[in-house]
Amino acid sequence: MRYLYAFFVYASLATPVYAGQVAYAVHSTEIKKQPFSDAATVATLKEDASVNIVSRQGGWTNITSESGNGWVRMLSLRSDSTAEKQGDTGLKTLLNVGRSGSSGTTVATGVRGLSEEDLKNAKPNPQELEKLKNYAVDKAQAEKFARDAKLKPQKLDYLPADGKP
Amino acid sequence: MLIRALLFFGLCFQFSFPALAFDFDFNKALDFAKKAQQATKTIGEPEEIEIGDGIAANLLGASSLLADNRANQYVNRVGRWLSIHTERPDLPWKFGILESSDINAFATPGGTIFITRGLLQRMNNESELAGVLAHEMVHVLRKHHLTALQKGARMDIASELANQTLKNKGDPAVMDKAIKAGTEVYARGLDKNDEFEADRMGIVIASRAGYDPYGLPAVLQILEAINAKDSSLALMFKTHPAPQDRLSLLDKIMSKGFDAYPAPTQTDQRFNSEIALRK
Repeated sequence: MRYLYAFFVYASLATPVYAGQVAYAVHSTEIKKQPFSDAATVATLKEDASVNIVSRQGGWTNITSESGNGWVRMLSLRSDSTAEKQGDTGLKTLLNVGRSGSSGTTVATGVRGLSEEDLKNAKPNPQELEKLKNYAVDKAQAEKFARDAKLKPQKLDYLPADGKP
Repeated sequence: MLIRALLFFGLCFQFSFPALAFDFDFNKALDFAKKAQQATKTIGEPEEIEIGDGIAANLLGASSLLADNRANQYVNRVGRWLSIHTERPDLPWKFGILESSDINAFATPGGTIFITRGLLQRMNNESELAGVLAHEMVHVLRKHHLTALQKGARMDIASELANQTLKNKGDPAVMDKAIKAGTEVYARGLDKNDEFEADRMGIVIASRAGYDPYGLPAVLQILEAINAKDSSLALMFKTHPAPQDRLSLLDKIMSKGFDAYPAPTQTDQRFNSEIALRK
């Protein structure tokens, strides 16, 4: 728990995780003055060009680059694989010793209880299932929750599988 | 399945019964094979829910719930609101945060969705949470795990399950077998196309509920930026297509028509107050 809150507090005070991240264009794309398709085009970002991420708004990412600064479609960017990535390198897994049986009970840090092996050996926990059922809410509660935040339902069909919008 | 069953029964009866009995038993065998085939198409909703709850109990055996009522209730409200915008709004949908630093999310048949603390704490807003929940909910809507269970299960489990369904009364021993086989699907993962389908439909469900459609892609970009060898992602990366490939697919289908749905800022404030800023 303490870790959770420590992290959340940290996360909320710090800038979002994507800010400051280095990315590259997976295909050439227009840099727009504003985060809209019909906004003025500042420049064209070439395929593989490197950018720095400033922020994100909807489907648009605010970037700085050698070609120019502005907004590009977020899905035209991919994380730069040559840049240093967040997270550990997998060494922790190798060093994970001290597991006590198949229950997922841990005596060493870093064990998460949800590895492939843990799932194969999992024994049912009916008490937790009851707790989970008690968390369920009904439609009326959910609708109130949506109204409270002014979430507006939209009519939208599922997309065809062939990638054509 | 039908052909295999027929062959099996055909062989058995041919060698062990005289010709007269053969006709009679062959019809019985045919009937049995038909039932088995039906079961691969439809497991009744009560059995679907029972199997799903059994798998959920197993997942909770591997990792308990985060001991935080408020956070769990919040995730339930987001999820239940999303469920109203699906073709199965009346399932007993329930949502839980697993106390694990692993980065992952799970769905079990019948409407149970889990998200790990590790994934939740990487998120920035309610639309990202909605995107991930909606992706998982598609696995329930399209019965991906039930199909995987039946494809992967031994013939005897599949056909016993067929009998159960038709009798509409669960034999605990048979349900146990199905639940065990079902839990193994989570270590193995679903078909890649099931994951792509969950992305494709998930963004639409989130948009219908009024969320930013780019919540799910944003989470995929967060995952993409984490070292692929990070141990907290081991199972997720083993059981899912690479985030890069999932982003490329969404890039193709989201190029038009998804700009007009910004999420209300109230949802950001709420995510902060219910999850991020809590003490």
